[in-house]
Amino acid sequence: MVNNEYLINTLGFVSMVIIISLATVIAWKMQRLRQLQSVIDKLRKSLDEMDEQAKLIVRTDMELNKTQEELDKKVTSLYALQGLSRAISTTLEEGQIFKRIDAGYLEDIGFEKAFAFLWNERGKKFLPCLNIGFEEEALESAVNLGQESYINLIANEKTLSSISMDKLSRDKTNQSYKINSFVIAPILPKEGDKGFLFVATENADTLITEGDEELLTILANQLGQALENARLFEKTWRAQQGLEDRVKERTHELTLALEEVKKVSKRKTDFISSVSHELRTPLTSIKGYASILLAGKLGKLEPQAQERLDKINRHSDELVHLVNDLLDISRIEAGKMIMKQEQQNLKNIAGQAVDLLSGQLKEKLIELTLDIPADADRVFVDQSQIERVFINIIGNAIKFTPQKGKITIRARKVDNAAQVDIADTGCGIPPEAQEAIFEEFYRVDNPINQQVRGTGLGLTLVKYIIEAHKGKIWVKSGPGQGSTFSFILPSSS
Amino acid sequence: MAIQLGIGISTDKNYIAAAKEAASQAAINTHSTKIDLALVYGSIEFSHPGVLKTISSLLGPTHIIGCSTLAFISNQGIFKHGLAVMLFSLPEGVFLNTACVQDISKKSTVNAGEELGKKLLYGFRGVRRDLGVMFSDGLIQDGSGLITGCQEKLGISFPLAGASASDNLSFKKTYLYYNQEIFSDAACGMLWGGKLNFGLGIKHGWKPLGKPRRVTKAKDNMVNEIDGLPAVKIYEEYFAKDIAGLRKDLKHISIFYPIGIYLPGEEEYLLRNISSIKEDGSLVFQGSVPQDCQIRLMIGTKESCLAATEQAAQEVKKGTQGRPLNFIFVFESVSRYLLLGRQAKQELEIIKTQLGADVPLIGIYTYGEQAPLRSINYRGKTYFHNQTVTILGVNA
Repeated sequence: MVNNEYLINTLGFVSMVIIISLATVIAWKMQRLRQLQSVIDKLRKSLDEMDEQAKLIVRTDMELNKTQEELDKKVTSLYALQGLSRAISTTLEEGQIFKRIDAGYLEDIGFEKAFAFLWNERGKKFLPCLNIGFEEEALESAVNLGQESYINLIANEKTLSSISMDKLSRDKTNQSYKINSFVIAPILPKEGDKGFLFVATENADTLITEGDEELLTILANQLGQALENARLFEKTWRAQQGLEDRVKERTHELTLALEEVKKVSKRKTDFISSVSHELRTPLTSIKGYASILLAGKLGKLEPQAQERLDKINRHSDELVHLVNDLLDISRIEAGKMIMKQEQQNLKNIAGQAVDLLSGQLKEKLIELTLDIPADADRVFVDQSQIERVFINIIGNAIKFTPQKGKITIRARKVDNAAQVDIADTGCGIPPEAQEAIFEEFYRVDNPINQQVRGTGLGLTLVKYIIEAHKGKIWVKSGPGQGSTFSFILPSSS
Repeated sequence: MAIQLGIGISTDKNYIAAAKEAASQAAINTHSTKIDLALVYGSIEFSHPGVLKTISSLLGPTHIIGCSTLAFISNQGIFKHGLAVMLFSLPEGVFLNTACVQDISKKSTVNAGEELGKKLLYGFRGVRRDLGVMFSDGLIQDGSGLITGCQEKLGISFPLAGASASDNLSFKKTYLYYNQEIFSDAACGMLWGGKLNFGLGIKHGWKPLGKPRRVTKAKDNMVNEIDGLPAVKIYEEYFAKDIAGLRKDLKHISIFYPIGIYLPGEEEYLLRNISSIKEDGSLVFQGSVPQDCQIRLMIGTKESCLAATEQAAQEVKKGTQGRPLNFIFVFESVSRYLLLGRQAKQELEIIKTQLGADVPLIGIYTYGEQAPLRSINYRGKTYFHNQTVTILGVNA
């Protein structure tokens, strides 16, 4: 019994210890669970907080991405605009300007479709000059059906787009062209036909901004500028072309005229030559018979007949002289007269001419100075022809220099040539006649010429002779100031 | 003798002239009269049967395969408009077959995939199969089904890479090029065999954000509930927008903030872009999302994107054990093109720097990429990916 009681007590004690222990463990476990739950709660809370932060991150990231996208689009658009500007500004052909608009560039700006039209005043309708992505035939009629709105756009000089147009017009435009967004910018060159640029996208995600409007306005302005440049160039080019054509035409006319003049001149030379030849034969006979009669070989003449025959003889001499001069001129003109150029002494040639004219010089008491230095003395000329030159010029000087006047003959070396100046103190030559005196049969209208006879061929012959020596002749003179005839002769050195 | 190949590019606006120019240029660069394959990529305006007919008439009978793309990538740069042709003249011992499956919407994507796999295997009996490359219509709702079907025939662990064709981001129509015809609602592929060594790198660079969530109701590419709530709730909470607001910004949100499926053993999450939001709050993704999987919202930056490209290129080098590459295929998500914006060219430069600037390279921007997962857990099974750059380097 005692043992049983003891056993019960012991079991009771042990049970109690176990229960207490279990209770302690359970309590501990419970506490641990509570602790774990608290940690889990904390973790969950952290996770939720983290998720909230993630939401903020995502939203911020999305905004950032959108901004970045817009920025990217703007940069790309600016690059595209630069490319387009370069492309359209490097042509001066109006027909090429719109062909330079590349679809790739427009796509970079955000539009895959585009068209441009220019107003044709004569046809009273818009004509296409660009079409990217639209149906060709339908487009032209669609634009011209709504031409009033485009004319207004050009008149108002204002860019319109799907964001700046009223809903009704916007929807109508979208429907007509099967697009979602668009920008229309007027093309306004200062002169000539104006028009507009229409860019569009089918993409419903593309949002048109004011920036797009500005960008397309710049592009349309550049198109206007390019059109202006091309038209100006075309105008200038046409004017130049016209001028060139006229110059060609005139040159042709002048060439024909020159040919005609040459022909006439040749005919004249031939005529003079043949007439002169024909004249010389009877003249020789006349002069011969006159000489026979004057010599009294056919009997003594009456004084009156003698006087008449003297006149016949003198006039015959003048005629022979004239005919000879004419023949020489025509020979030189026809290149038939060959200058027999040799080394000559200029002083001698001039001296001989002066000697021949010494009677006339004395008669008029004219003082003549001959100054030919040694370095200008040696010339390479046809002696007889140059003597004729001196005789003609000095003869003229004597003719037009009053009594007791002066004539100076000077020569000097100029490069490889000799320049001869023959100056007188005569009545001088008016400026308007200074060129003409070298023309055939020209005689200055002055009192002396009216009294003294002359052929008007002397200076012409002089000019031909000098030119045949590859020289030149000119005159410096003024009325009442005397005249200086200068000519250049080839030097023999 | 090694594989001979050449690339030709044209940006001529006339598609016939472009086809002639690109094909002739490629033929000259190939230095061979025997052309076995023409790989053709074109921007949407060049997706015309005339292009393929012109190429075919110039080259004679040969396999032609390819697809439309937002832009194509080559050693010379990224071209938004134009045509790229890469011609292959295969040495003895290297085999190739191409196939095409049409009218996918009239059958299940899995069946279409099986049909493609079967056609590709035709003529490959007794030949070592090395690699499959596949192109599919980028607007097919469930890209994963095609892969599943194809792998049913080619083998679960058979390496299969590929891309979904893209358009000019209008998401209206994408095209597959096959011999002298172009198709939509189709897929085509090429099977390579013989003595081919290749390295495959696939990375995206997107990072998880916020707390993990669980897909509680889903079927194929439609997720109905996440954490017991309508799936759209996750986006509504993060972006503080209602369904209408989300739909308005869907393209942007889908590209920049996809969901990432946690894959044990994988370095990166498997990304999924949203293609649409249903009225009941269900989300439709471009690839399948398994029920009960753990997902996170993902976020990407330009820097993480470019770092991922470098990692992908390094994986290619590891795969080919540093052997010199004959050519490189790049399949790159259009999302990356949009995210990188003006820096898109940097990505190409990274690839060229890592794998050799002179190795002929051709690539496209895609609406989805196909490539195997690396971890052993997945037995080399190919998955449908979004947002990645998939680089395939081949040594033959």
